Amino acid sequence: MMLSELTRIPRVFGAGIATFDGFIVDSQFIHGYDAERFGAMAAKIMTQVKKNLGAESGAVILYTQDIVFLAKAKPEGVLFVVGDKEANLGLIKIKFEKM
Amino acid sequence: MADELIMDSKALIFATLADVYLSSGMIDEAISILQDGLTRNPNYTLAKVILGRAYYLKGNIDEALKILQENYESAKGSETLNLYLGHCYKKKGEYEKAIGYYEAVLKINPENREAKESLEVLKPTQPVQKPASEAIVEQPPAKPQPEMVAIPKTDVEPTAPTELLPELGLEPMPARAVEVPAPLEALNEPMGRLLEIKSVKGAFILSRDGLLIQNYYAARTDLEEICALIAGIFNEADEAFKFLKCGALERCIIEKKEETICVITAGESLLCIITKPEAKPGLVFLYAKKIIEEIRKVLG
Repeated sequence: MMLSELTRIPRVFGAGIATFDGFIVDSQFIHGYDAERFGAMAAKIMTQVKKNLGAESGAVILYTQDIVFLAKAKPEGVLFVVGDKEANLGLIKIKFEKM
Repeated sequence: MADELIMDSKALIFATLADVYLSSGMIDEAISILQDGLTRNPNYTLAKVILGRAYYLKGNIDEALKILQENYESAKGSETLNLYLGHCYKKKGEYEKAIGYYEAVLKINPENREAKESLEVLKPTQPVQKPASEAIVEQPPAKPQPEMVAIPKTDVEPTAPTELLPELGLEPMPARAVEVPAPLEALNEPMGRLLEIKSVKGAFILSRDGLLIQNYYAARTDLEEICALIAGIFNEADEAFKFLKCGALERCIIEKKEETICVITAGESLLCIITKPEAKPGLVFLYAKKIIEEIRKVLG
């Protein structure tokens, strides 16, 4: 229910929740995208941000040549979204922050 | 002169010697002599003014300001005192105060070139008042901009003359010409515009291995550490994305409770912009674009 709000946004490939050690709790991804890999990466980056910058409840937005990746640390784990580079990041961010 | 000082340590000549040292770029030696001399002659205002100047040249603006302000009442007619108070406030970004002191310098000596040049730079920036909302539509003045903290720093001000020697009745020594290395000078204009955005706290350029290249964030003292930490996060994320075949990492925004860190690739370097949490990232990236072009031109 919660993740579908994110995945309904056009050009979003998927969203998920992972524990801080990288295991997937829940995910919704289109075919061809591996939720476990993105979950592991989200956990890794958020742990690094927490460790290096002391941001307990920080969020990270990463833009690559192909995709845009958002991750946010929650007490329960890491929430993450993966979308196309052309996706409406503002909209994703609004939905993301509400969660 | 050093011998004379040793022979008569109470002599007020220590201030002159310190001034000569300053003109030669020997700032630490000058400070040492002045501190030593002032313990024996604590009321020697001129020496205190030179000490303030020495701290300014060393880059310790707070200490310079403290000393110069403490002695303002007893030496308010001093051209040097007013000039360096102006420089200190300019460095601290308090431009109105700086203008006041530069104007005071020109009242004392209308030919003072440093004060004139500083006023020319500062005065046109004054009418640029930022609106409450940070949307900057109009382009700020093209040339004048706030002074940046540039690294590598120069040891000596390029035009630091020995103004105090005539006050002591001595011939001034020719100031040593010091070349200011400014490879990233072209960045000052776009960076000045970026830093004028109210919610932008500061910015800096770092290499991908975490070394600071250029600093435009004077308020932060732990930048080298931050550079290393940010580069660590960026490189790790970059590697992970490459592993996932999602392309190379181009931009990274880290949102913390008290600030937002935007890291953007600029060729072989990274541009890092620290903003307040309420900053508009779109606007920041827009301004950053021009800076990145310049960085690419200069650093590749």
